[in-house]
Amino acid sequence: MGFGRKRGSVSPHEPKPSPKSRRGTKTSNKKKTKQKKKKDMEELKKEVVMDDHKLTLEELSAKYSVDLTMGHSPEKAKEILLRDGPNTLTPPPTTPEWVKFCKQLFGGFSLLLWTGAILCFLAYGIQVHFGQKPAKDNMYLGLVLAFVVIITGCFSYSQEAKSSRIMESFKNMVPQQALVIRGGEKIQINAHEVVVGDLVDVKGGDRIPADLRIISSRGCKVDNSSLTGESEPQSRSPEFTHENPLETKNICFFSTNCVEGTARGVVIATGDLTVMGRIASLTSGLAVGQTPIAAEIEHFIHLITMVAVFLGVSFFLLAILLGYTWLEAIIFLIGIIVANVPEGLLATVTVCLTLTAKRMARKNCLVKNLEAVETLGSTSTICSDKTGTLTQNRMTVSHLWFDKTVYQADTTEEHSGKLFGKGSDTWFVLARIAALCNQADFKAHQETVPIAKRVTTGDASESALLKFIEQFHSSVKEMREKNPKVAEIPFNSTNKYQLSIHLQEDSSQTHVLMMKGAPERILDFCSSFLLDGQEYPMDDEMRKDFQNAYLELGGLGERVLGFCFLNLPSHFSKGFPFNTDEINFPVDNLCFVGLISMIDPPRAAVPDAVSKCRDAGIKVIMVTGDHPITAKAIARGVGIISEGSETVEDIATRLNISVSQVSARSAKAIVVHGSQLKEMSSKQLDKILQNHKEIVFARTSPQQKLLIVEGCQRLGAIVAVTGDGVNDSPALKKADIGIAMGISGSDVSKQAADMILLDDNFASIVTGVEEGRLIFDNLKKSIAYTLTSNIPEITPFLLFIILGIPLPLGTITILCIDLGTDMVPAISLAYEPAESDIMKRQPRNAKIDNLVNHRLISMAYGQIGMIQAVAGFFTYFVILAENGFRPSELLGIRLRWDDLFLNDLEDNYGQQWTFEQRKVVEFTCHTAFFVTIVVVQWSDLIICKTRRNSIFQQGLFRNKILLFGILEETLLAAFLSYCPGMDVALRMYPLKLNWWLCSIPYSIFIFTYDETRRFFIRHYPGGWVERETYY
Amino acid sequence: MWVMLQTLNDEVPKYRDQIPSPGLTVFPKPVTALEYSFSMSNPKSYEGYIKDLKKFLEPYMAQEQKNVTGCRDGVLFEQKGPVYVACPFPLTLLQPCSGTDDPNFGYPQGKPCVLVKMNRGGYLQPLVAVQLPFDHSGYGKEVTVECKVDGSSNLKNQDDRDKFLGRVTFKVTVHA
Repeated sequence: MGFGRKRGSVSPHEPKPSPKSRRGTKTSNKKKTKQKKKKDMEELKKEVVMDDHKLTLEELSAKYSVDLTMGHSPEKAKEILLRDGPNTLTPPPTTPEWVKFCKQLFGGFSLLLWTGAILCFLAYGIQVHFGQKPAKDNMYLGLVLAFVVIITGCFSYSQEAKSSRIMESFKNMVPQQALVIRGGEKIQINAHEVVVGDLVDVKGGDRIPADLRIISSRGCKVDNSSLTGESEPQSRSPEFTHENPLETKNICFFSTNCVEGTARGVVIATGDLTVMGRIASLTSGLAVGQTPIAAEIEHFIHLITMVAVFLGVSFFLLAILLGYTWLEAIIFLIGIIVANVPEGLLATVTVCLTLTAKRMARKNCLVKNLEAVETLGSTSTICSDKTGTLTQNRMTVSHLWFDKTVYQADTTEEHSGKLFGKGSDTWFVLARIAALCNQADFKAHQETVPIAKRVTTGDASESALLKFIEQFHSSVKEMREKNPKVAEIPFNSTNKYQLSIHLQEDSSQTHVLMMKGAPERILDFCSSFLLDGQEYPMDDEMRKDFQNAYLELGGLGERVLGFCFLNLPSHFSKGFPFNTDEINFPVDNLCFVGLISMIDPPRAAVPDAVSKCRDAGIKVIMVTGDHPITAKAIARGVGIISEGSETVEDIATRLNISVSQVSARSAKAIVVHGSQLKEMSSKQLDKILQNHKEIVFARTSPQQKLLIVEGCQRLGAIVAVTGDGVNDSPALKKADIGIAMGISGSDVSKQAADMILLDDNFASIVTGVEEGRLIFDNLKKSIAYTLTSNIPEITPFLLFIILGIPLPLGTITILCIDLGTDMVPAISLAYEPAESDIMKRQPRNAKIDNLVNHRLISMAYGQIGMIQAVAGFFTYFVILAENGFRPSELLGIRLRWDDLFLNDLEDNYGQQWTFEQRKVVEFTCHTAFFVTIVVVQWSDLIICKTRRNSIFQQGLFRNKILLFGILEETLLAAFLSYCPGMDVALRMYPLKLNWWLCSIPYSIFIFTYDETRRFFIRHYPGGWVERETYY
Repeated sequence: MWVMLQTLNDEVPKYRDQIPSPGLTVFPKPVTALEYSFSMSNPKSYEGYIKDLKKFLEPYMAQEQKNVTGCRDGVLFEQKGPVYVACPFPLTLLQPCSGTDDPNFGYPQGKPCVLVKMNRGGYLQPLVAVQLPFDHSGYGKEVTVECKVDGSSNLKNQDDRDKFLGRVTFKVTVHA
């Protein structure tokens, strides 16, 4: 409103400016909404600010003015519902399908063709308007251009039809029903009617209906993986445990799942205000930048337009000087500009990208957005999520410690079926505890599935133990049958242990108590320990060994569990009523057995893939929600932090100095904690990104992931982001290319991504990079090939204007080349194998290494194209001379030649030609010029196969599609020339054989010329030839 | 290019298959397309036609053809080459349209002469005169005249596209 008032007061016509001044408000509103939107986005990018988790229950009750036992009265709930609106996510403004279609029709390259088409119609219009005998050519050309754009538009539209429906999948996550307490009664209501302050009950299997502050709970665990990326269920209880609302235990988040237990909470946020809602709004509100290939095509269009306008204007002026009328000159101007439009290139580029997309799909990279095919090739930084992308997303036992020795377990995806070869009795006891004191179990009917792949019930660690024992020891089922469980205390966060009592296997009718839990807790229970099957009293040496082992395993980022047991005395024999609420059995003086540590291990193919990325000059950054130690361990495991490099902390430890004494620059690697990142300015972030080669971001929030991506982009990097969770989706969307996981990925992340790895394998990215780089190179070749024939297509028109000769090449024949003979060969270049190991070179610099640069244009237009044009004119002059019109005679003949009523034009031999007879010769020339271009395009195609190598290195026959392309264009040309009826349909005439041969020498010349050029490029690197002609 | 030009015969074009059959053209050249229109009472309206005809017939004047060896009437004058000679074409063959008797080619009388020429495809250039005697009933009406080369199997006159191949159509309107 402020704008409105200001504007009003300035206007003298409104003496008493009303704040509701329509004009004023309208503009100001527009401005305001824009500003507001921007501000909102900034706001969304910030961390979640929340203090509800810190409040006591009384404060909470006061804040939301709700009774924590009775809930809102139904009336009040209604009131709040009216005030806040329903508990749903606002769907983003959806783009109607026709708008998407129009975007395909009018984007980038299409615009160039449309301009061409409009110019054509304009020229036709001018001709009609001024009553000239309109050459319909212009109209046809305009129609063909429009047709090409529409067809290509439809094609790409259908290719991309499965485009993003981000919010829809968010919508699907909204729970349907919720159990709330209102006016003291439990009622089941629609989840979208839940309001702030409502008391909500959740139980295992429910989806959390809104952001909740827990006020009471019983063994409640939630799966936050879709929000934070933590793969294991997190326990929830009323206690405030962490400053960060995402980490504290007393908050449950909208649309996450309650896995087990029950809880009651107060709703603290609904709909878009929830944490999940913010991510959703953030994701859908992010402006997506141009893809690199789109930028390249834009650059290319600029170049082409410049050339076209330059040629057009110069010849316009020339035409005026030569005495043509303004009208004619304008028609020429338009004609020349349009002639520069490469009609077939749009289709060629689209088909090339589609082919690559198909090829990538076969290699498990599904590309959603066609242009993204190339993006991966330009990528210079990959920000990878850890869980599920780099790791298997499956807790696996990695180390065991017993008998004072650390044993390593096989963590690869394909466990070798070998038994864990330990003859020690301690191992036997440890395995028994791990199997029995364990709530996890295999789901039924999976006997045929490899153990590692079987689905289990229970949490990740217990499942890991279960699988490990099943794999390396013996059947857990049998063990459990032999040792039936009689009592159990499940794990909880206060106890930090789990206890179970089993009947002994022997017939002694006695019981054994088994316990597992946090190692330090377990040790407290123990007064003895097991060594090689023998029990020894606990001593300081053992405690020290234990500490070392615990630290060592913990330092590897692994979750460590301790195991102990106690053979219960004989009076706790079969039938004893064990009471787990009021413990009536001994739980001290246990015997310590060992430690087992688990980790979500890296995928087998990842280290190799990471090192390939390194070779390819791509920086791999790990961005994870997980803890720094785990993150660092995995980073080391997969080579994101390479073997020799150290972090500041590592250096400090090695030199035994404090961290502050180490210069940040001396460390190659760095692990940044989310809380540090929170305090950083964007400049500091840039510094980190620039100064360190190996970076791990741990404990990052979704917003921070986004900031990291933006930071990389700010530094000019083309960023790929891989991720699978909802928390990754803003970063996926913002990235130049978002890569989601096909199997483990959430729907939201898949929607936000441009590419989906169908096999969840990070290694597939390497394939993607390779394909992306290859298509970039090959598109260059394709474009070089296609552009070359532009010169022999334009020059006839130019000489027609300047020299006044009969037109050597007509519109129809030009279209036959651009949309006919040139198409398949140009596309076949997409199948060209790489010239050298493209994974050994640096990613292209988006600012310098353009798809089409002036060197490519100068090669195509200035050199090869010129030779082709000369070849064409040669054939043209040969035909006319052999029919009686010598070149000298032709100069300036144009007006007489094209005079419909001059039916006795004399040639050099005195033969008199009717108009129609002349035209037949002229069209024969067009046909011959066309055939000539086809013949010289043979060699152009062959030289375009390589940019540096000799053809003899590249192999002439390796690309079968290309050979087919040559054959196809030749047959097509022959068909167009010799097929009966073509004279009527396209005005193309049969040629004499020797007219085909006229261009052969030129074709050979082109081949030799370019072979020589490339010889110089190879042998004088950095020399003049390379600098000026290497495109 | 130069080499290519050297391969050409100075006398005979390498290919003559593009003009196997001659076209017909008319004289004088009409101002608009193939429509003659003039007024007998206004000499200016046909002045141009007369001039054009005279100019066209100039090379056929007797003094211009005096170096041409004679041919006998009714007998085919076969030549073996390599040097070919042309037969004389006495203007008198054109009778009233020769311009010798009537320098105005009948235009003031409403009987305009139009010469129909067969294109030279080699050495032949036959000429035929057409005189259209209009009387007062025809004044102001458009008359379409079509001339065809007929009766010769190797001369086409029915080409769909080429309206001048072995035929020519023109329109004449004479105003009083």
